Amino acid sequence: MSLRRIPWAALVFVAALFVPALGTRYYTFLANDVLIWALFATSLNLLVGYTGLVSFGHAAYFGIGAYTTGILMKKAGVSFLLAFPAAGLLAALFALVFGFFCVRLTRIYFAMLTLAFAQIVWAVCFKWNEVTGGEQGMPEIPYPDFGWIDRVAAFVPVLGGYRTAEQFYFLTLVLVAVCLLILRRIVGSPFGRMLATIRENPERAEFIGVNVRRYELAAFVLAGAFAGLAGGLFGIFNRGVFPDFAYWTKSSEVLIMTLLGGMGAFFGPALGAAVLIWLNQQIVSYTEYWPLVLGTILVVLLFVFPGGIAGALALLLRRSRRGVARA
Amino acid sequence: MTRLLTLLVAALLALPAAAEAQKPIKVGMPIPLSGPAALFGEPASKGAQMYVDELNAKGGVLGRKIELIIRDSKADANEAVRVSRELILKENVDFLVGTLTSAEGPAVSVVAKENKIVFIAPIPKTDQLTAADKLHPYVFRVAATTTIEGRSAAEIVSKWPVTKVATIAFDYAYGQDVTKAFVDYIKKIKPSVEIVDQQWPKLGEQDYNPFINAMMAKKPEAIVSSIWGGFFVTFSKQAKALGMFDAIKFNFIGLGEAGSPETTKSMGADYPVGIWGNSYDAFYWDESSPAHRDYTARISKYLKDEYPSSWAIQGYIGMQFLAEAIKKANSADSEKVSKALLGLTVDTPAGKLTIREKDHQANRGQLYGKTLKEAKYPFAIMKPVTYVDPTKFMD
Amino acid sequence: MTARPSPHHFVPDLSFVFAQSLSGLTAAMFLFLIASGLSLIFGVLRVLNFAHGTFYMLGAYAAYQIVQWLGTGPVSFWLSALGAALGVALLGGIVERLLFQRLYGKEELYQLLFTYALVLILGDAAKLIWGTQQKSLSRPPGLSGAVTMLGATIPYYNLFIILLGPAIALGFWFALQRTRAGRLIRAAALDRETLGALGVNVNALYTGVFVLGSFLGGLGGALITPMRAIVPGMDTDVIVEAFVVVVIGGLGSFWGTFLGALIYGQVLSFGILFFPRFSIFSIFALMAAVLIVRPWGLLGRPLR
Repeated sequence: MSLRRIPWAALVFVAALFVPALGTRYYTFLANDVLIWALFATSLNLLVGYTGLVSFGHAAYFGIGAYTTGILMKKAGVSFLLAFPAAGLLAALFALVFGFFCVRLTRIYFAMLTLAFAQIVWAVCFKWNEVTGGEQGMPEIPYPDFGWIDRVAAFVPVLGGYRTAEQFYFLTLVLVAVCLLILRRIVGSPFGRMLATIRENPERAEFIGVNVRRYELAAFVLAGAFAGLAGGLFGIFNRGVFPDFAYWTKSSEVLIMTLLGGMGAFFGPALGAAVLIWLNQQIVSYTEYWPLVLGTILVVLLFVFPGGIAGALALLLRRSRRGVARA
Repeated sequence: MTRLLTLLVAALLALPAAAEAQKPIKVGMPIPLSGPAALFGEPASKGAQMYVDELNAKGGVLGRKIELIIRDSKADANEAVRVSRELILKENVDFLVGTLTSAEGPAVSVVAKENKIVFIAPIPKTDQLTAADKLHPYVFRVAATTTIEGRSAAEIVSKWPVTKVATIAFDYAYGQDVTKAFVDYIKKIKPSVEIVDQQWPKLGEQDYNPFINAMMAKKPEAIVSSIWGGFFVTFSKQAKALGMFDAIKFNFIGLGEAGSPETTKSMGADYPVGIWGNSYDAFYWDESSPAHRDYTARISKYLKDEYPSSWAIQGYIGMQFLAEAIKKANSADSEKVSKALLGLTVDTPAGKLTIREKDHQANRGQLYGKTLKEAKYPFAIMKPVTYVDPTKFMD
Repeated sequence: MTARPSPHHFVPDLSFVFAQSLSGLTAAMFLFLIASGLSLIFGVLRVLNFAHGTFYMLGAYAAYQIVQWLGTGPVSFWLSALGAALGVALLGGIVERLLFQRLYGKEELYQLLFTYALVLILGDAAKLIWGTQQKSLSRPPGLSGAVTMLGATIPYYNLFIILLGPAIALGFWFALQRTRAGRLIRAAALDRETLGALGVNVNALYTGVFVLGSFLGGLGGALITPMRAIVPGMDTDVIVEAFVVVVIGGLGSFWGTFLGALIYGQVLSFGILFFPRFSIFSIFALMAAVLIVRPWGLLGRPLR
C-alpha cells in the first residue's frame, strides 16, 4: 500500500469536475481562481524551485498575458482559440528579451533586474491609456464563445445546462491540467534534470561544459510563457484586466504561494495557491488585518516548515513509514 | 380542535414568510481600508455603518434589518473586483455600495452589470462611471464628477484678478480629467486666461520640489491643484517652505478636498491658510440646514470626534439613497430598486439630492471656500463656505 | 489629452537651475540617509532588508508620537528624532537577535522573505497603533525660515539636510577607517568566516550592524516628517528608491550609495523638464540600465 502509487493528480482532476455540481456559484469561483494561480505558481517554481533563480518580477508575464488576451478579445474581437496561445507567445517573447539580460546576473542582482523590468511593464500598462486603458484598465473582457458546447450538448446531454461561468471553469480546468502536464514532462526530462544540476551548483555545471546561461534563459522563457497563459485565463475570469496584474505585490503573492506549498514538490505551489487563497478569504471576513496574519504565517513557515506544506507532509509520511517498518 | 389545527397550519405557513421577512438585507461595501486612500475610505465606511445602525434601530426597512458587509478594496481596481465578486457569490449581498478610486468604480460597475445588482458609488469622480458607453441600469453615483469639480473651480478662479494660471495634477485618470474639465471650462467663460504651465507628478509622488520650482519659473498668478489626501499635505508643506503660496498671493485652489477638516487638522500650523479648497462636508458649515446640524451632532458622537471627518457623509448618503429606493420600490429586488432610484429625490444632510434619469448621476456638489484661521478652532477652516450647486455644470 | 503650453519660450535662468539642483541635492541627501542603513546591512550581512522602509516609517510615526508627548518646545523635535531613531534601533536589535539570527545559515531567499514578512507585520502594527489618518509634524523652530540665494528661495531645513548628508557620510567613513569596530565591520564584509575563526564574536557584530542600520533608517524617517506627510504606505514608497540608489552606487559600497543618491536626486530634478510625464518610469529605467550595463554599480566590486 504505497501512497505514492495513488494517482493523486488524476483524482483531484476528477473531483474538480464536480465542483459546479456543489450548487453554489462561490465554489466554482474559488476553484477557478485557485486553478489559475496554481498554474502561475507552478510556472514560477520552474525558475525558483527547479533552476534556483529567484525572480521578483514574475507578475510581468502574467500581466502581459492578460493584456494580450484582453486586448485581442475585447478590442480586436479575436477568438479565444487564438488569443489564448497569443498570451503565452507574447509573454515568452518578453521573457526572452528581459531574460537575456537577467540571466547574465546572479542572485540578488538577478532578482532586482527582474523587479525593475516588471515595474517597467506595470508603468507602461498604467500610462498607455490608448492601448491598455491606463490606470483604469480594461473592464469587461468577453467570455470565449461557448456556443459550440450547447450544440454538442444536443448529443452529449451531460454537457448541457451550464452557466457561462461554469463553462469557463471547465475550460480553465482542462487547459490548466494540460499545461501542468506539459510542465511535469519538462521537469522530468533531461532538460529538467539539467536545470536541477544547475541549481545545485552552477559553477560545477559550467565546469562540465554546460552552457548555464542558455539553460537558464530557456527556463526563464518557459516560465514566462506559462505565466502568460495563466494571465490570459485570469483576465477573462476576473472580468477585467488591470495594471496591477504586473505590480510587484502580485509577484510577491505568487512567490509566497510557491514557498507555502513547497518548492521541492511539483504540485507544491499548486497546493500553496489553494491554501493561501482559501485562507485569505476566510480571514478577511473577520479582520482587515490580513497582512499581519500573512506575515505571521510566513514567519512560521520560514522557521518551522521551510519545505512548505508539501515538505511537512513528506516529512510526516516518512516518519509514519519508518514507524510502520519498525513495527 | 379544527380551530387549533387551522391556527397551527396558519402559523406554520406564516413561519417561512416571517423567516423571510426577518432575513436581513445584505449590502456589500468594497472600500479602501489600507494604504493612502484609507483616510477617506475608513470614515466613509463608518458613515455608512452609522446610517445602517440608526435605520436598524428604527426597525430597518420593509421590516427587515440591513446588514452592511465591509471589505478592504486596497484602492486597487483588481482587488475591488475580487472583493465585490466574493461579496456577491459568497455573502450573497443584495446590493453594492462602495468603491473610492476612479479605477475601482468602473471596474466594480462591470461586476454589478453582469450580476444584475444595484451598485451605488458614493465617491469615485470619474466621468467614465456614468458615460454613455458604460452606463447600465444598475449603476448610480451620489458623488461629484471630475466635470463638476473642474468647472466649479473654473467658475471660482474666473472671479480672481488673474490671467496666468498653472495646474498641477497627478498623471492619471482623475488628475487628467479634472484638469481638462477646468481648462476647457475656464477658457470658455474667461478667454483671457492663459495656462502658462502644467505639471504632472506621478501618482504617489513624495518629492514635489522639482515640480514646484518648474511651475514658479513660469511665474503663474494662480495655481489649480488636484493633489489629494496625504499627498496634498506633503506637497503643501514643501510648497510652503519654498514660498510658493506667498509668490502667488495665495491664489491657489486645492481640489481633491484640500479644504477638508481632516487636512487642515492634520497640518495644524503648517497649513497654507488663505488658499481655497473644497470638501464634501464640514462640521462647521454654519449656514447649513437643521438636518445637517443634526447629522453633524450624530456623526460626531458616533465617531467620538469633536471634529468629525468630512468623508463619512458620502457613505451615509449612499446608504440613504439605497434605503429610500428600497422603500419606494417596496422590494429588495435589484430590478425594482434600480427603477426606483431613477429620479429619486432624497433629503440628505447635504441638502436635497436627485438622481437624474439621464445618467444616474446625483446633483452632488461640494463645499468650496477660502481658508482662514479662527480662534474657535485649533486649525484652519473655510469661511465663508458655500455649497456650489453643480446643476449647471452637469452637461 | 489637454493642450499643453509649449515650453519653447521658456529659457531656464540661473536661479531656476540653482533651485532645481538644490532640490535634487536635498532629495539626494534624504535618500542617502535612508539608503546608507540599507547599504550597511547589505554590505555586512549580505541581505537586502525589505523592512528598511518599514523602519523608516516607524521612525516617522515614533517621532510624531514623541512630539505628542513632549509638546512643541524648541528642542522637542530633536529629542523626538533621536528618541525615534533609538526606538527603531532597539526594535531592529530585538528582531535580529531573536529571529533573524536563526536564518543566517539558510538560503538567501528565506532571509529576504523574512524581511518581507516584517514589512507585512510591522506595517499593519503601525496601522493598528496610529490608524489610517495622515499625520504631520512641523519644522523645528529655528529651522523654519528660508534664505534667498541667487534669486531662489532655499528653506533652512533643506540646507540642514544637505549639510547633514555629507556630515554623516564623513562620520561613517571616519568610523569605518579609524575605529576598531569599523575595522571589524569592514573585515566582516570581506570575509566573515575567517573573522569568526579569529575569535571575533561575529553574531554580536551582526546585531550591532543591524541595529546601526535600523537607527539610520529610523532617523531618516524622523527627520523627513517636516517635509512629508506620515501616512500608511510610506514604507513601500521609499524602499524602492533606496534599492535603486544602492544599486546605482554599488551594493555594499558606502561612498557608492552617496554617489548613487546624488545622481538619482539630480536625475529626478531635471528629468521632469526633459521627460515630463515619464517620472513614473525613472526609478525602474535607471535601475534596469545600471543592472544591465554595470551591475556592480559605480563604485561596487564586480561580484560574481
